[in-house]
Amino acid sequence: MKQFRRMAYPYIAWSIVMIILPMLLIVMYAFTQKGNDVLTFKVTLDNFFRFFSDPIFMDVLKRSMWVAVLTTVLCLLLGYPVAYIIAQSSGRKKVMLVLLITIPMWINMLVRTYAWVGILQDKGLINTILGFFGIGPISLIYTDFAVVLGMVYNFIPFMILQIYTALSKLDKSYLEAASDLGANKVQSFLNVTLPLSLPGVISGITLVFLPAVSSFFIPKMLGGGQYVLIGNVIESQFLTSGNWNFGSAISLIMAVIILISMYITKKLDKTGLNEGGK
Amino acid sequence: MKKLIQFKNIVKEFDGNLVLKGINLDIYENEFVTLLGPSGCGKTTLLRILGGFLTPDKGQVMFDGVDICELPPYKREINTVFQKYALFPHMNVYDNVAFGLKIKKEPKDVIEQKVKRMLKLVGLEDFGPRRVNEMSGGQQQRVAIARALVNEPSVLLLDEPLGALDLKLRKEMQHELKKIQQEVGITFVFVTHDQEEALTMSDKIVVMKEGTIQQIGSPTDIYNEPANEFVARFIGESNIIDGIMIQDKEVMFEDKKFACLDAGFAPNEKVDVVIRPEDLDIVPKDQGKLKGVVKSVLFKGVHYETIVETRSGTSITVTMHVSEDKPVVNTEAKEKMSANDFYLDLEDIAELTEADIIARADAQAWDSESEDWISINKVEYEIEPKIGTYPVTFSTKAGTMVSAHMFVREANRIASKEYEEEIYAVNFFKKVDEIKESMALDTDLKTWANASAWSLEDGVMVEITDVVYDFDPENIVPGDYQVTFKTEGYEYMIDTTDKHEVGEEVGLLFGPEDIHIMSRKGSY
Repeated sequence: MKQFRRMAYPYIAWSIVMIILPMLLIVMYAFTQKGNDVLTFKVTLDNFFRFFSDPIFMDVLKRSMWVAVLTTVLCLLLGYPVAYIIAQSSGRKKVMLVLLITIPMWINMLVRTYAWVGILQDKGLINTILGFFGIGPISLIYTDFAVVLGMVYNFIPFMILQIYTALSKLDKSYLEAASDLGANKVQSFLNVTLPLSLPGVISGITLVFLPAVSSFFIPKMLGGGQYVLIGNVIESQFLTSGNWNFGSAISLIMAVIILISMYITKKLDKTGLNEGGK
Repeated sequence: MKKLIQFKNIVKEFDGNLVLKGINLDIYENEFVTLLGPSGCGKTTLLRILGGFLTPDKGQVMFDGVDICELPPYKREINTVFQKYALFPHMNVYDNVAFGLKIKKEPKDVIEQKVKRMLKLVGLEDFGPRRVNEMSGGQQQRVAIARALVNEPSVLLLDEPLGALDLKLRKEMQHELKKIQQEVGITFVFVTHDQEEALTMSDKIVVMKEGTIQQIGSPTDIYNEPANEFVARFIGESNIIDGIMIQDKEVMFEDKKFACLDAGFAPNEKVDVVIRPEDLDIVPKDQGKLKGVVKSVLFKGVHYETIVETRSGTSITVTMHVSEDKPVVNTEAKEKMSANDFYLDLEDIAELTEADIIARADAQAWDSESEDWISINKVEYEIEPKIGTYPVTFSTKAGTMVSAHMFVREANRIASKEYEEEIYAVNFFKKVDEIKESMALDTDLKTWANASAWSLEDGVMVEITDVVYDFDPENIVPGDYQVTFKTEGYEYMIDTTDKHEVGEEVGLLFGPEDIHIMSRKGSY
């Protein structure tokens, strides 16, 4: 195996340049003032004070968390039954269903979100159809609904695939044992299937929550200009306001929040289940 | 005793394979019943039908007089110990055992009492909080038993539960299971392919083969009076000899008549005679009912397993010509080459190919330094379909050459009427070095002599069990040697406490009660 170790060098070099260096830059920017050059660093915590003292930013942070939590919960509630159905089916049907979930992911997320703009806008597909029945137009786009819809649509495959993998790994003999011990289908599901699929649920939650909390183009496109989430704030600090230091500070705060939430889910994973081991 | 379970003409098919071909079986209350058979005999399928995990295609399963075929597992008063235990990995031992009671919503204190009692029964009182993955196979097994028994089923099904355990633990668990069954006093239906396990634990054994029941009986019945050859062989090592039932209580085998206890066969009906190894005694040769020579002795821990041959099988003797020829050396090309003379049957000439000739002559060429094999490039030979001697020359690309002779003769085969088999072998030439270097001389001798034997009835190959020669392979010198190949004759396996010497002439003694007659007319 030793000779293969060298094959990792290009990746190490790549990750230093593309991951570690930018991270360090973000940390550096976050703790310094605007306008420093190569030689002079003015270390400061002002960027953080500004974020936590301004109620607007705190509101944005709260809203972002709320949207991400809502998206995750909806993905879980919608995704689990789908994953369960896929895991229960067999042969061609199973392959078809998995394909149906994965094929949209072959297309760029941005393009798919644009498609939703077309569907939801006032003269879009839905309102046109509703128009035939004399209803509407209902304003769908640029609402909370549109943003959450876009997020659920984009991130639900991660949830489904994680849960599906966990469910299909589940040994059928556990269900037979539960049935043998007197549990009907519902009881078997609640007492055996659900707890044993928790690792999949938890990694699904992680995979949905993380992109949802930091997404910026979905709220931008489906929420319109007025719908601001934390991702949009970071984006505008970098691209429009040109305040890289403040943007970096917010990014760093988000990174810490994400780390904490990952830690919590990891903990849940460990205490929730004793599987693995052997 | 009351009939608790009745299988009535159960038929089950998987993808066009009939796995159960009409099973009729009654199981009584408080019985320890074992379904015994090789893998694929349908025993597990039958158990799963009883557990409710499969529904039969035809037939009825009666439980206490009611057909339960359509009843789902969770409504049956039956619990199962699964093959791989299927303990819930997300629960500790206590919760696993308590699962069934919690589902039934029994009061908490009742659950606790019952679980504790059950854990005590299986000897795991202090293991309640343990995670199941942290337990050994034997402990997991006990948890699985406790988890099933705590529900107070009327029947416990056990699907090869001891298969994953090592020998010592398996023996322990066999006694444990029997003890538990006697203590709780319910019906156990146990599935296994291990005949010893079945004999030790069961009240009743059901021997199955290819979806049919071969025999139902107590362990002693099955052991002493197997219904047919399959049961006899499956239930334990046994001597099974071809015989003819002359009349009631008289059987003939090995051309001698013996008194026996069996009756009810047609006069002169062909039968299988079973004599258990422990029922045979070795006595001085003039006192035995049969005479033979000790062929092998194996120490089995408590006894010796002695094989006595009363009559040798079909045999054929060939001559091995051993020479000291050295390989041809081509110093220029740094190659060495060798080939042997060989004998050839007249009838084989028509289909002779170059590859055959190379193989028969064992022609080889190799690099004299690296020992790497070099392919033989050319085979030149002349041959006519007549008895005679013909030359053959092998050469490599580099021009190294070696010659040999092909001796064409009539085929040398010997047929035996008694065993209805035929044996074939051919004389051959070898070099001293080849014999000294042989790693498995018996097998090599068979290959060199092309020895084979087959049944004259159906053409099936018969194993050559003996290769007899009188030279010392380590110190062989050029010359002609006789090699004899033999098939298996009449051999008896005898369990003895005394050690006998191989080659000793002995007598075999047995009484009329030791002879068991089986019909050849098939199944039970």
